Amino acid sequence: MIRKNSNKTGRSRRTVLQATGAVGLAAIAGCLSGGDDAEPLENLLEEDPEEYQAVEVGHWWTAGGEEDAFEALVEGFEAEYPDIEIDSSPSPGGAGSALEADIRNRVVDQNPPSTFQVWPGQALTDYTEEDLLYDIDGNVWDDEMREAYHDGPVDVSRPDGEFVAVPINIHRLNNLFYNVDVVEDSGVDPESIDSPSELLEAMEAVNDAGYVGMAQQTASAWSTLQLWAQVLLGEYGVDVYESFIDGNVEENEDEIRDSLTLVVDYSEYFNEDASSMNDWDDASNYINSGEAAFFHQGDWAAGEYEADDDLEYGANWDHVAFPGTEEMYALNMDSFVFPKHNPSPNATLRFLQYAATPEAQERFNQHKGSIPPRTDVSDEAFTPFLQDQMADFQESTDQPPSIAHGLAVAPATQTDIEGAFANFIDNWDVDETYDDLVNSFQ
Amino acid sequence: MDSLRNSLRRLNPLSTATADAETGTGVGVEADADERGGLVDRLRRSDFVESMPFWLPPTALVLLFVYGAIAWNVVISFTGWSGLGQPDYTNFTLEMYRQMPADQDFIASLRNTVALLIAFTSASLVVGLGLALLVDRKIRFESTFRTIYLLPMALSFVVTAIFWSWMYADPDGLINTALHGIGLEALAYDWLGDPRFRLAAVIVALIWQFSGYCMIVYLAGLRSIPDDHYEAARIDGASTLKLYWRVIIPQLRSSTVGATVVLMVFALKAFDFIYVMFGTNPGRSVDILAVTMYREAFSASEWAYGAAIAVVLFALALTIIGPYAYTQYKRGAL
Amino acid sequence: MTADTTTEPEPEDDVNGDGDDNDETQGHLARLSPGRIALYGGLLALVAAYLSPLYSGLTTAFKSQDAYRETSPLQPPIDGFTVDPWLTAASELAFAMLNSFALTIPAAVLSALFGSLAAYGLTKVDWRGQALVLVLFLAAVFIPYQAVLVPLRQFWSMVGLSQIHPRGELVELLITHVAYGIPICTILFRSYYQTLDGELIEAARLDGASLARIYRKIVLPLSIPMFAVTLIYQFTQIWNDFLFALVLLSNRANYVVTLELNALAGSMATDYSVQMAGAFIAALPTILVYILFGEQFAKGQTM
Repeated sequence: MIRKNSNKTGRSRRTVLQATGAVGLAAIAGCLSGGDDAEPLENLLEEDPEEYQAVEVGHWWTAGGEEDAFEALVEGFEAEYPDIEIDSSPSPGGAGSALEADIRNRVVDQNPPSTFQVWPGQALTDYTEEDLLYDIDGNVWDDEMREAYHDGPVDVSRPDGEFVAVPINIHRLNNLFYNVDVVEDSGVDPESIDSPSELLEAMEAVNDAGYVGMAQQTASAWSTLQLWAQVLLGEYGVDVYESFIDGNVEENEDEIRDSLTLVVDYSEYFNEDASSMNDWDDASNYINSGEAAFFHQGDWAAGEYEADDDLEYGANWDHVAFPGTEEMYALNMDSFVFPKHNPSPNATLRFLQYAATPEAQERFNQHKGSIPPRTDVSDEAFTPFLQDQMADFQESTDQPPSIAHGLAVAPATQTDIEGAFANFIDNWDVDETYDDLVNSFQ
Repeated sequence: MDSLRNSLRRLNPLSTATADAETGTGVGVEADADERGGLVDRLRRSDFVESMPFWLPPTALVLLFVYGAIAWNVVISFTGWSGLGQPDYTNFTLEMYRQMPADQDFIASLRNTVALLIAFTSASLVVGLGLALLVDRKIRFESTFRTIYLLPMALSFVVTAIFWSWMYADPDGLINTALHGIGLEALAYDWLGDPRFRLAAVIVALIWQFSGYCMIVYLAGLRSIPDDHYEAARIDGASTLKLYWRVIIPQLRSSTVGATVVLMVFALKAFDFIYVMFGTNPGRSVDILAVTMYREAFSASEWAYGAAIAVVLFALALTIIGPYAYTQYKRGAL
Repeated sequence: MTADTTTEPEPEDDVNGDGDDNDETQGHLARLSPGRIALYGGLLALVAAYLSPLYSGLTTAFKSQDAYRETSPLQPPIDGFTVDPWLTAASELAFAMLNSFALTIPAAVLSALFGSLAAYGLTKVDWRGQALVLVLFLAAVFIPYQAVLVPLRQFWSMVGLSQIHPRGELVELLITHVAYGIPICTILFRSYYQTLDGELIEAARLDGASLARIYRKIVLPLSIPMFAVTLIYQFTQIWNDFLFALVLLSNRANYVVTLELNALAGSMATDYSVQMAGAFIAALPTILVYILFGEQFAKGQTM
């Protein structure tokens, strides 16, 4: 009796399990068949469409000059293409946090925005490996365009050999900003500092004169990561740097350890509240106020000084290339791409073509505080500082890509390197950080 | 007579269930009924079928979303899936689990998770018990006090992380301002910037948020102790301290067990607070498994590795939930 | 989660009343004794400690940029008083608040309803498997959500509601919250149904009423107090959720308030006054619910 009874309930339970199992199987089946191919771009494009879908642009230019820059770009585009509407889709989080994950989800779900702001270079490999972006060679990139670009920006536009990205701006990472009065008062001449290790001596002199050697924020890791990258570039040159980003960590062990040690030595001369600063602009403020001599940051920091009515470029604040990197223009860039399953292929193409023009890049970059990736853009509309930057860019022989901004290494590696530096700024342990860097590429 | 009563019980499982829970005789009754067979059995069966529309859809949802997803997660952890493509369900590997011992981030996260679990749980229980004992002293405005102590439980971790970031800010936050005000500058550390204090700072904030919960659990426990236990002890001449130690605290064991399970399981998944305060890469001083899992899967697209870390978290949770659910089941508390 | 505290009536108010009466009749001595004074002193000090994060947030939320830089968070916002941070935060968070309401209310109602139905079905039926199902439900209450995030993301990516409608991912999040809310709601209702007097149901059953009819006519009306508890519990849980929303929502227009608040804190890193005002605005619905229904909230937490 007991057995019979339990059989009955048992069977019922089995039925339940079978039913749910079926749902699960259907789910897995759906998943396996999910990767169907997108239409080739040629099939989607029309010479002269009757009407356009709106272009949804995902980006994180949500505040201040960045916002103005994007608006200027949109204005220019809408003047050129009055039939096409831009649907701006701003996301928060700055350096790619929330937006990145959101966009990835949407691309994987085959529901991407028309185009989106993304770091070019290795940051795109997750997309290109799964063939989620259209090759835009011929449609956007052509010989005329290629000639207007240096090799660095061209290379990061085709991380896997195919052109998939249109660069819109370049921020330089190898500037060293300084307060003119402070370095003079300390008896230091920034122009004559030839290497990162000499910079350490300069900081010592500054410190003896009663100032902060180098303003820095160490609450989050990326500022110190990009500082270390410049130290490596300046002390050991582009070849070692590129060998490192190719994953040859152990081959360059001495250089990596020494450059890390140098950063640890630098940290002795950081402002004392470096670890509690919320953001880089708190640190850059030490230059405004004349409390610190040097400040390393991407060239967006110049905006802080240009906006300060009490400071004048050349007279009160100035910059040199990070010691040892005079011939280089270290790249941090943004770009637009053409995701497959595009909601508005014809309008997207025209937007990308526009973003590649000198006019668009002039409009955008003068507000952004960055320089155009094209080398044939007039510098008239730009600030004196940016004009100098554009001249440096023209003359640069190497344009190494940034690690901290995804251009140089694949996203998973970048996450691990950031983790290594999150640890580095906590304990300044060179051995541990070196091991972490080795593991980052495995 | 017996048979009639049993049939009635069958027809009225609501009261049966209560009786079972109270007396623990459920098994006996059941065995009894099974021997009667026939009509009762059929009735029961039709009950089972008739009640399916009520419990089956919710149960199916739970099976699919909770248990189906857990199983699927285990499968994904064996695939090696990464990047923006789809997982390959034809090749399985233990590689993800092999990586773990060499992954310093994972080791640090595991260590921090265990530290958080132990420190947060025990401190919250102690603080909560203290609050409950104070509030239980027949005070005026008791419900006001209770409301204030429990208030943090009503807030999102996003909200409390923002409040506490400001509390801990150096040098302007309330804590360091207060320390300066009373001449204890020496103790005004950079709580969130200094790796030595970060995890402790998080734990203190979480105790603030959860001790009110422990308080109400203990209050309910205290109030279920019959008054004559107090009286008896008093007549025996026990001091107040002894009274608490000998009589009251031992009777709070089941409250403690319940609260401990809730707190420990929470500690395993305390993601929101750390993510909002420190982001996806908080550094090894405060990284916990829940954050590491999210970072690997959703920032780095190392889905399989993230899933494997999630399996570890799940296993840790099971060692806590398993015995608890089992004893609840054995006691007939379900 | 302690089942044994579930059915405990809450006599504290009476006890409290009695206690005060005793104090009253025994004269002032009891209340003025040093022990009593120390007790209240301790309680008040704890109140200050528990409210201090809210206090420093509130004073800062009313300060202008200059005022918050120059005055301590202990000082009330007298110089440089402004409501601008509130206006800024409110305009930033408004759409996300609406999304949160649109998500939370139906999700709370549905999960409570499903929980009630499941508890009724599982309490009503007497078969051995039900305890097992309940163990599964109990365990599901505690499961770390990290263990399901990757499949969940993958599942909804395949179902693809977000491709059908721009609001699709909010529906995905809603269904997810309902599914994960069912276990706790079922456990809450189950412990309550076990205490219900069975006579009425028994009589109705003998009269030949269907289970559905009994549920509608007898159980549902009796469940109203428990619905209050579960609805408040679920409202608070879902409103405060961050993790599921973080994983499932990828379109800014669909962000719920916790996500948008985090974004606000990230994008205005140093502007504490706007962050604090935003935190209060985002917390306002749950704080109101808590103050209005504190007793039900506490019940939901302790079961």
